[in-house]
Amino acid sequence: MKVQVLFFGATAEIVGKREIEISFDKEPIANEAFDKVLNEFPQMRQHSLLFAVNQAYSNGDEIIQNNDELAIFTAVSGG
Amino acid sequence: MSKGQRTKDKGQTDFFELTADTIDVGEVARRIVSAKCGATVTLDGYVRQFTKGRETLYLVYEAYEPMALSELEKLIEKAHEQFEIAHVGIVHRLGKLEIGETSVVISVGAPHRQAAFAACEWLIKELKRTVPIWKKEVYRGGEIWIEGKK
Repeated sequence: MKVQVLFFGATAEIVGKREIEISFDKEPIANEAFDKVLNEFPQMRQHSLLFAVNQAYSNGDEIIQNNDELAIFTAVSGG
Repeated sequence: MSKGQRTKDKGQTDFFELTADTIDVGEVARRIVSAKCGATVTLDGYVRQFTKGRETLYLVYEAYEPMALSELEKLIEKAHEQFEIAHVGIVHRLGKLEIGETSVVISVGAPHRQAAFAACEWLIKELKRTVPIWKKEVYRGGEIWIEGKK
């Protein structure tokens, strides 16, 4: 199964892309999926991060399904 | 860009939008005026030149658009639960903004002003904490994505 991971602002600059695709053998828990991405781009861990699954904030324990949309971004700064 | 609107049974019509165009503050405020209201409180947030002594040249805003709209809708819903207000309009600008340009407008209409003031303050505070929008500050000698507080 595969999922899309989106990045914005500072995290997009770290990754060098706005979107990547990652694969799993079986449905991961949200935290496992996010850890896999952070291990690939450890520089992100230096930031204050927020996580989303299917366009809503993640509490870390959702079961991720095929084609879900994940996102990792820094604490927001609109206004 | 993206727009959302919610209409509830009590006859409120709220709107929340992301736009790349300049925002007409008066137009946002006028859109929420209704016969049952007596006051509208409007926040006009715009780009400041100096922050802690550093000179900003311009800002660049970006958003996770679908999630930003859904978070704005949730905020408006919570505002209706907490305050005696009738209508809310929120417009946030994206892209490059020069000093003095409006980045966000929040207009709250209510039968009485106190609730409108309180809801407007609550909405901007929550927007800055929860709506996935970011600003990059370009200043003399560098640029940085601003990170909010979680």
